[in-house]
Amino acid sequence: MPKSFLPLVLPLLGGTALAGCQWLIYVYAPTEASMGLIQKIFYLHLPLAWWALVSFFLVFLGSVVYLFRRSPGADRLCAAAAETGVLLSGLALVTGMLWARKSWGVWWTWDPRLTTTLVMWFIYAGYLILRGLNMPPQRKSLVCAVLGVVAFLDVPLVFVSARIWRSIHPAVFGAQGGGLEPEMRLAAMACVIALGFFWAALIGLRKGQLDLRARMDTLWAGNGPSAAGRNRP
Amino acid sequence: MDTVTWLVVANAAVWLGLGAYLIFLALEQRALAARLKQWEAFHPEHQ
Amino acid sequence: MLRMTLAVFRKDMTLTLLRGNGLAQALLLGLLLVFVFSLSQGIGENLSPRNAAAVFWLSSAFCQVLIFNQLYALEEVNNSRLGLLLVPQPLQAVWLGKALAGFVLLLLAQCVFAPATIVFLGQSLSGHPGPAASILLLTDAGMCALGSLLGALAQSQTARESLLGVVLFPLLTPLLLAGTGVCAQALGGASGEADAWIGVAAAFDAIFLAAGLLLFSFLYTGDE
Repeated sequence: MPKSFLPLVLPLLGGTALAGCQWLIYVYAPTEASMGLIQKIFYLHLPLAWWALVSFFLVFLGSVVYLFRRSPGADRLCAAAAETGVLLSGLALVTGMLWARKSWGVWWTWDPRLTTTLVMWFIYAGYLILRGLNMPPQRKSLVCAVLGVVAFLDVPLVFVSARIWRSIHPAVFGAQGGGLEPEMRLAAMACVIALGFFWAALIGLRKGQLDLRARMDTLWAGNGPSAAGRNRP
Repeated sequence: MDTVTWLVVANAAVWLGLGAYLIFLALEQRALAARLKQWEAFHPEHQ
Repeated sequence: MLRMTLAVFRKDMTLTLLRGNGLAQALLLGLLLVFVFSLSQGIGENLSPRNAAAVFWLSSAFCQVLIFNQLYALEEVNNSRLGLLLVPQPLQAVWLGKALAGFVLLLLAQCVFAPATIVFLGQSLSGHPGPAASILLLTDAGMCALGSLLGALAQSQTARESLLGVVLFPLLTPLLLAGTGVCAQALGGASGEADAWIGVAAAFDAIFLAAGLLLFSFLYTGDE
């Protein structure tokens, strides 16, 4: 029973929580001293980036499960998580760029975190292209599962190399986010949790839709439980 | 542009992005519904 | 397994070098890249060592995509992949053999790209060649481990070249950064960080050699 209940509750919870977060962001949390009002973007930017990373981790887990169990459900979960991850990391990049342009006067800085997000976006966009190809379904699931594992193994390496890469160049700005005030941290955490509900709702919705599509495919292929009906004269 | 405009632009970008994804989901759903309708037309005994 | 690896290696080297146009296509593409970048220099200017190193690795990366496409395309004719699959040996030998063949072919290609970079982009070997040589081997090893794994991914696909490039390039970012960082020093760029880069490249090699061993048998199947 709770399983059918969840899709209804999650968006509602996410929406309400996000609305409440607006109060936390603009009223409760103090305005940052050096950056001013623009720092409020941070409360959207951080949850987007975090949940994007969680999505990619979910792709990794789903891929491992698929490789061992060959369950089509795990494959569809990977598809849903990868789409959501690319969407959220793309939005995190856009907000990051807007924030950087306003506070530091540049659209892009080679900050390790930003660079890692960009490279991950590229990797998983390639993954989605692979998913869109016309291949036999089982072969495609398998290929995507292998890529899902390989892609996540790459993430820490990308981060480390981006960090070394940057340290040669003069840093445009110091590492931010280290010394958050308690009110800001609370607001940021609340935003992360609120967006988390929304994220789970999105993935659940997409997964359900993909399940439905798979059922439809079997119906059309005539392997479904009602295949007998079709052969009736 | 002043800071508030930047904030509005950033927020708009995020929600436009999420909205676009929801539109994509809605279109997929519509395609599914169309396929279901077609299937039902082929299998009148299931209606 | 070692004998099978060497057999695959020998077979691929023979087929690639002695038949068809061999390495020519990959070499030509890499050289063209170096040449096109040389056009971006103004009169009397030279690219900075870092730029030149980046061009060198870009050429190598494109060349590597073509090499692995070619190596895996060898078995697409007449379903000869099934023959390899039926050999009573661990499948990983195919992966390792092809990675080895790709490694040697890539090194051969780089023997052409390196002088071309120095000549066309106006560089000189004024730094320490030691770290550059080790990063060259480490980076090539990592590129070939991953390239050999993902080369099997595009099997019996029509858009294989572009597909492999799109998937492979972002994954190779850490290696390309490492190669560029260290090779820039060999060309006289600012020194420092070489040890850290070699560490990154070695970690990449270790992770993806292990991943290749574990995952290859999932990818390389008899499916059409």
